[in-house]
Amino acid sequence: MRVNHILSFFLAPCRRRIISEARNQSPSIFDHPRFPPLKRRMATATYPPPPPYYRLYKDYSENPSSAPEPPPPIEGTYVCFGGNYTTEDVLPSLEEQGVPQLYPKDSNVDYKKELRSLNRELQLHILELADVLVGRPSQYAKRIGDISSIFKNLHHLLNSLRPHQARATLIHIMELQIQQRKQAVEDIKRRREEAQRLLKDAFVTLDGQ
Amino acid sequence: MDIISQLQEQVNSIAAITFNAFGTLQRDAPPVQLSPNYPEPPPAAAAAAAAAAAAAAAAAADDPTTTAFPEQPKQLSADLVKAAKQFDALVAALPLSEGGEEAQLKRIAELQVENDLIGQELQKQLEAAEKELKQVQELFGQAADNCLNMKKPE
Repeated sequence: MRVNHILSFFLAPCRRRIISEARNQSPSIFDHPRFPPLKRRMATATYPPPPPYYRLYKDYSENPSSAPEPPPPIEGTYVCFGGNYTTEDVLPSLEEQGVPQLYPKDSNVDYKKELRSLNRELQLHILELADVLVGRPSQYAKRIGDISSIFKNLHHLLNSLRPHQARATLIHIMELQIQQRKQAVEDIKRRREEAQRLLKDAFVTLDGQ
Repeated sequence: MDIISQLQEQVNSIAAITFNAFGTLQRDAPPVQLSPNYPEPPPAAAAAAAAAAAAAAAAAADDPTTTAFPEQPKQLSADLVKAAKQFDALVAALPLSEGGEEAQLKRIAELQVENDLIGQELQKQLEAAEKELKQVQELFGQAADNCLNMKKPE
């Protein structure tokens, strides 16, 4: 029924022109169809319907607790568009990726020193690769493997700096917030005192009259 | 961009310079004589090669972007060393506060306590200010009503 209604709305100008021609009147510009004629299948392309549990929220504005609570956050692993994702975002260690770890495994690793020494190693290995390519070109594979493991170590070190950066950002944001709150307290105190002073002056003026 | 992302970009650019350097050198290298037994290239080819080399030199003199082959390794290695130095400079600029994870967590806990305290104080001040505001508004309303209903002075 709705389809017929929509079609009749769009086809009305065409029908008017046909009728006016039948009456031997010249069709005016108002009789030209304003839209291109819709094909039948376009009228059925509507938006998908809302999920069916919208009916549970019928009385939400009067009684917010009559409707179900939102679902709790997902924990563990979940599937999204066919892919498996995990809620635990942890950086996999190098051994799990099968890459030899070139910097000493310590709980407090000195990032700057290790990054600099890895950079040195990288330059040496690149030079070695150039030598090998000139002298013994068939033995490039091992050198390339060494260079790629150095790169993987570098990136792993940089990635393990990210939690530190996150905590430092958090500390910075909290300090900023404390400063802003202190400023707001000062402002409110100042304004209150000013308002009281104005009122007192007004009283004095009124009493003086 | 934050410094860790800059460091990561620098590492990637070192890798890019490296493989571009080796690729260009391998592509543009002139042929090398493998053994002294192989004959020199025939003179006709040598003359053609000399003419081509002269044309290439003229083209290189006109076009500043193309460089003669011996210059390329120097330039590429200079780029590589420059990139490595920049990486070192970025590493030196890392604002790594010593103390590790526990010190940071302790600091975060301290800041949370301080934040809560000052939040409560802010709340108190806000409530007092709103109360006073309401009082003043009430008084102002009364004063305005009195003004409106004031009898004409005799």
